Amino acid sequence: MGAGVLTCLMVVVIILNAIAAAAGLALFAVAIWVAVDGYKLYPISGVSGKDDIFAAAWIAIFTGFAFFLTCIFGIFAALKRSRALLMAYLIIMFIIFLFECASAITAVTNRDYLVGNSNLVKKQMLQYYADNSTRGKDITQTWNRVMEQAECCGTDGPKDWLEYDSTFRQKFGTTFPWPLNCCKRLSNFEVEDPEGCIVGKSSAMFTKGCFQYIESVLSRYTWAVSWYGFAVLMFVFFTLVIAMIYYMQLD
Amino acid sequence: MNTNAVIRLMSLLSIWMWTGQGLIFQPELSPSDLQGKITSNTVTLKQPYCVFNKTCDGCVIWLVAALSSENRTFDSQLTTSAPDVLNKSPYPRAFEPLLWDFFVTKVGPLADFPCSQSSNDVYFRVGAEGKCSGTNCNGILPVGSNVSFKYLLINADNLIIVNASDWSESIHLKTNQNPQSINDGLSARSAAMIVITSILSVAAALLLLLFFIMLCVAYCGRSKDISQGQATSPMKVMNSIRIPHYDTHSLRGKAHPYDNPGYVSEGKNYSTSETLPKSGIQTQKL
Repeated sequence: MGAGVLTCLMVVVIILNAIAAAAGLALFAVAIWVAVDGYKLYPISGVSGKDDIFAAAWIAIFTGFAFFLTCIFGIFAALKRSRALLMAYLIIMFIIFLFECASAITAVTNRDYLVGNSNLVKKQMLQYYADNSTRGKDITQTWNRVMEQAECCGTDGPKDWLEYDSTFRQKFGTTFPWPLNCCKRLSNFEVEDPEGCIVGKSSAMFTKGCFQYIESVLSRYTWAVSWYGFAVLMFVFFTLVIAMIYYMQLD
Repeated sequence: MNTNAVIRLMSLLSIWMWTGQGLIFQPELSPSDLQGKITSNTVTLKQPYCVFNKTCDGCVIWLVAALSSENRTFDSQLTTSAPDVLNKSPYPRAFEPLLWDFFVTKVGPLADFPCSQSSNDVYFRVGAEGKCSGTNCNGILPVGSNVSFKYLLINADNLIIVNASDWSESIHLKTNQNPQSINDGLSARSAAMIVITSILSVAAALLLLLFFIMLCVAYCGRSKDISQGQATSPMKVMNSIRIPHYDTHSLRGKAHPYDNPGYVSEGKNYSTSETLPKSGIQTQKL
């Protein structure tokens, strides 16, 4: 192969590695965002034992940063025109590729378990809201926050509290049909109309269900880790193929 | 007994007289937009506007909440004496087995519910006081039972039941399902999951395959050529010197290196001076 083509290939490899390094760093940042859990919905997945979305985010933190470092090493190896360094680069990239595949697949599979339909979230809410255990406290705090912020009540609606028995009903069912966080509040946090809320007036309480909000947040986390991870992996696949061609042309 | 029968007949007559007036002569569910009209242990009713059209000073409307199966039993026990009914079935124990299965609770004075001010925004919630224990308190109903309601118009001064409405329709209270019965297993796999998993698996496998092909092409091809005796590239040998030119004698700097300067000629001039080489050789005269 002529020296001109070799140089061209080297430049292409360097550019692709630079872009992959930037993409890896972005994956690192996005995965940190997911792991930090700004919406504070971790207990909903943690209590049921299905917190793989967050586990996948942790893996993506490491693989994203590893992609960044290895791609910089790849730029160096391409400049040196050294077969040994390029071989090391290819092997390390392949191992990181496998880990990132695992992260993307885990996140998107686990999302189906958690929020494919509203049953798991509903069952958890009925069992653990107002329960005295640590799980109960986590779930209660999470749901109180969700009901206030998203202005909703119950999973599919307030009817969940009426149709099913629950820990809450066993403790407070003679006075309150649903938690007071379902009620509309004034800006000083007092309940606007306690009587109206207890009887169920639509003007005094929230009537939509919280599942849509919970599902949208968890889906957002999942798409951040899995679809963006997928995009990075496709680009890295292409980069590795070009790097392999470059390797074959080196002497 | 006879007076009782007569009084009962009179009260029935007065009821028949009023039913023809277009009044809704029974308790009804509240029509407004409420989330929990019928729960497992409470019911939200309309307030009794336009139920009793009689003017009656000091009359108070009371509500009877009873299991639907006990309607007729209650009617047969109904006398005009209010204290009988009010004290018969005190709340906390009212629904225990072998007791009367009803309770009576106050709704409000008749004067508070004139027909002209009928409003659907107000409501009366049966069961509002929870598990209470006062006299004639508004306690919760048995979970999941069928209940009906009846209004009683009682004169508070002389404690006589002036009028009694019809029984309402039988209302079935919700039974609370056990949350353990919810099936929280995997519902279905989303399309995104299938796409990501399949494409990534194929990509990883393809990458591995290409990696091995690359190794084969880069290394396996070369060893084949060497075994046929031809190097495809110049051999590199360690520790040898490569210089461009090498001579056995050091002949640098001499103009005619193979001429012998000590050669003496025989003296015969076989050639003229023009043909003899001109440099470096002496000619002797003979």
